[in-house]
Amino acid sequence: MAENKQVLIGENLFDMSEGKPSLIVTHCKSCGTYFFPKSFTCHNPECVGKDVETTNLSRQGKVENYSVMNYPPPTPFVTQEPYEPIVCAAVEFPEGITIIGMMEGVTAEQVKIGMDVEVTVGTIYTKKTGDEVIAWKFKAV
Amino acid sequence: MKDVAIIGVGLHPWGKFPDKPWTAMAKDAIEEAMKDAGVSWKDIGFIVSGSQLWGGRKGIYSGTYTEEVMGNRGIPVVNVNNACATGGTMLTVAAMAVASGAAEMVLAVSSDKSAKGFFPALPVYHEEPVPSDDTLRWNLGLPNPVYWALEMRKRMAKFGDTEEHLAKVKVMLSKHGKLNPKARYQREFSVEEVLASAMVTDPLRLYEICATSDGAGAAILCSKEKAKQFTTKPIEIIASALGSPLYGDPTARIPVVSINPKPGVPVISESWVAAHRAYDEAGVGPDDIDFVELPDNSAWHVLQYFETMDFCKEGEACACLDRGDMAIGGRIPVCPSGGFSSFGEATMAQGFAQLYEMVLQLRGVCGDRQVQGAKVGMSEVYGAAGNNAAVILKK
Ligand SMILES: [Zn+2]
Repeated sequence: MAENKQVLIGENLFDMSEGKPSLIVTHCKSCGTYFFPKSFTCHNPECVGKDVETTNLSRQGKVENYSVMNYPPPTPFVTQEPYEPIVCAAVEFPEGITIIGMMEGVTAEQVKIGMDVEVTVGTIYTKKTGDEVIAWKFKAV
Repeated sequence: MKDVAIIGVGLHPWGKFPDKPWTAMAKDAIEEAMKDAGVSWKDIGFIVSGSQLWGGRKGIYSGTYTEEVMGNRGIPVVNVNNACATGGTMLTVAAMAVASGAAEMVLAVSSDKSAKGFFPALPVYHEEPVPSDDTLRWNLGLPNPVYWALEMRKRMAKFGDTEEHLAKVKVMLSKHGKLNPKARYQREFSVEEVLASAMVTDPLRLYEICATSDGAGAAILCSKEKAKQFTTKPIEIIASALGSPLYGDPTARIPVVSINPKPGVPVISESWVAAHRAYDEAGVGPDDIDFVELPDNSAWHVLQYFETMDFCKEGEACACLDRGDMAIGGRIPVCPSGGFSSFGEATMAQGFAQLYEMVLQLRGVCGDRQVQGAKVGMSEVYGAAGNNAAVILKK
């Protein structure tokens, strides 16, 4: 049997070049706003310059709020049996942007508002073909 | 611009109708509306239709196919899709057609087959170099209720709203819905029963999230002047306003994976915009509203919209709920129809379940669930991606 492949949830989302994963964002040099996923323009209606660059976001943030998915999400997500509840969180970063993603390594009882987390990259689900789908995740620090 | 009135409404019952085509459901709703108005198919000069997500090409051009079912007469057709805010959007477009003089008599109709549980991802044929929010969120396993749960969690931390409050919202809505013969769920729930239902996406439980249903609704609009030929009780549209988000909205809006909150921007800003635009357009304020059909997709929505629509101050919705303000007989009854909680959401058509109830309430024909002395009613629909519409009707 062939080795399971790892497939990214999408291109241009995270950078592993410094050993640890960072989210790739667009930074608007004109108004200071950050956007994720990265964008070809700044979306601030007050911004005139819209001079954007691609950069990496800070690797740590705080849980702003969270939910626990006790039911298997619908397609294209593929759930394994038995289904393990998914903890998802909205995480505030120092740059003033909040990003939603799955938590890893915490249970429904452990996740808390204000928890310090770091960006990781890991499997979010495994396709029927055995390929593992990889995305950004958050882990308590 | 002409003043616009509704002279007829129709509503197919809501539920699961696997053997009935959506076109047949639309036909039933149209025939009820035409009978209610006292007009025939040959009187209709313009069609606005809710464009569906789930019916393929035929669903996208729903109005075009509906005209074919009723009999092609070369009628102008506009197919509209603003997600679950489509109903209110259709009404706005239909009212514009009458107000501008572009059409004398307009049929607005929406029929939808949504009864399949969690809404799934739609196919994307041309993905962008950076995947869209929608592609990302479905792959991350984030169906719509997760977004509502995230917002509810924030309210709990900020205002002290509790799980019991969420259950009490469902109980209140079920008391209204059990009195509505067109509702799918016509029974009263208890707080204990709701709290015992499965936790779907913490802190929202099964009975606190609306089901998904098949449903259809129709309305016939003409000028207030022309309406005199058909009825002594025309219902006037005094506002039909659309909204979209403000930059810096702090809400985790379906289907985003990131938020850029800015100080002073309201939660669900698209809904705040539409509601306030509607008040401005109608020249009325929240104190003038006798009842509200708000989009109760979940119990969170009820608490949030009661504040967003200015029926109370921020953070006070639970106190209003506890006082009975939202019940029929209370200060501002919420969803006297029973809401989506009792109907289930049929995405493109749900604005017309609200509209049907508003017209009946303003005619004073709602029997046991009648809001006594109702003269002005308001509704708002909530759509994914920041789609929104608010409507104010007056008798
Ligand atoms: Zn900018």
